[in-house]
Amino acid sequence: MSSPFDQVLIQSDVEQLEQADLSLLETLDHVLNRGLVIAGEITISVADIDLIFLGLNVLLSSVETANEVIKKRG
Amino acid sequence: MRLYVYCLVEKIDRLTATIRGISAAPVRLITIEDFQLLVSDFEGDAPPPVTRENVLAHDAVVRTVLNHATPLPFRFGTVPTEAQLRSYITTHRDALEAKLAQVRGCVEMSVKIISDTDETESGWKKDDLSPGTAFLQQKQRELLGSERRAEEAKQVAAWLESQVGEYVRQEDVNLCPTEKLIVAAAHLIAREKIAEYRGRLAEARKTRPELHFLVSGPWPPYSFSNIELEFKTRFGVS
Repeated sequence: MSSPFDQVLIQSDVEQLEQADLSLLETLDHVLNRGLVIAGEITISVADIDLIFLGLNVLLSSVETANEVIKKRG
Repeated sequence: MRLYVYCLVEKIDRLTATIRGISAAPVRLITIEDFQLLVSDFEGDAPPPVTRENVLAHDAVVRTVLNHATPLPFRFGTVPTEAQLRSYITTHRDALEAKLAQVRGCVEMSVKIISDTDETESGWKKDDLSPGTAFLQQKQRELLGSERRAEEAKQVAAWLESQVGEYVRQEDVNLCPTEKLIVAAAHLIAREKIAEYRGRLAEARKTRPELHFLVSGPWPPYSFSNIELEFKTRFGVS
């Protein structure tokens, strides 16, 4: 699968995070928190999460938090 | 059998290439009420788990049509039966048409602004205090810090609007979601204005070196797609 980030421009002053991590966080924010919802159809499982998702709803939280999660992942 | 639904789009006759979606299932185009929807067959009743691969697959499928049209993305994990999907589209036809008209020719840009300023500690003595006094002082610091953040967020949001507002067709702005991230804005921008918008934003950033900016896009208009939330906002019920 080709990377969707070819089309995503990230401009960041926050150097603690890799660009790929920021791109992923942004994708999570958009794909999981937004978009058309068919009422009653969305029950997202959070089992088998392998990355930053514990910080998902706090994704918008802080770069600091995200950075900690990424460090733990790595 | 259920369908995994990626997005709703208009005026797409066919997919020009084979696209793989969630679980590498082939994506196909179906038509309901003059709308086209990108879907793939989905086994099981529960939505797919949130994994890096699945999340990226969802977004990648939505992006396949972004160069040709502006889609309305569905949220990750939308797996109705075909009958449920048809019912939803038929029931919400007018709202979906209006929503498509709103986003037509546009893309979403995301701007997150982070402030590292921490004023909560200034002016406070750190002498030896009893546990009770220390607790109360800590709570007071948090409260004052929160109020400062809220005020700062308002000011920064107003400043952002003054800088790029002329390019923004619609916006979704969240203030002070956390201590550090003070503004999270989604801007709906006409495609032909993207370069100008970016340029203006880049210039504006230079004038606020105390703030960190995370700017990403163009995105499909995820933040401007949901008709249910608007109903809730407008009428107070969902």
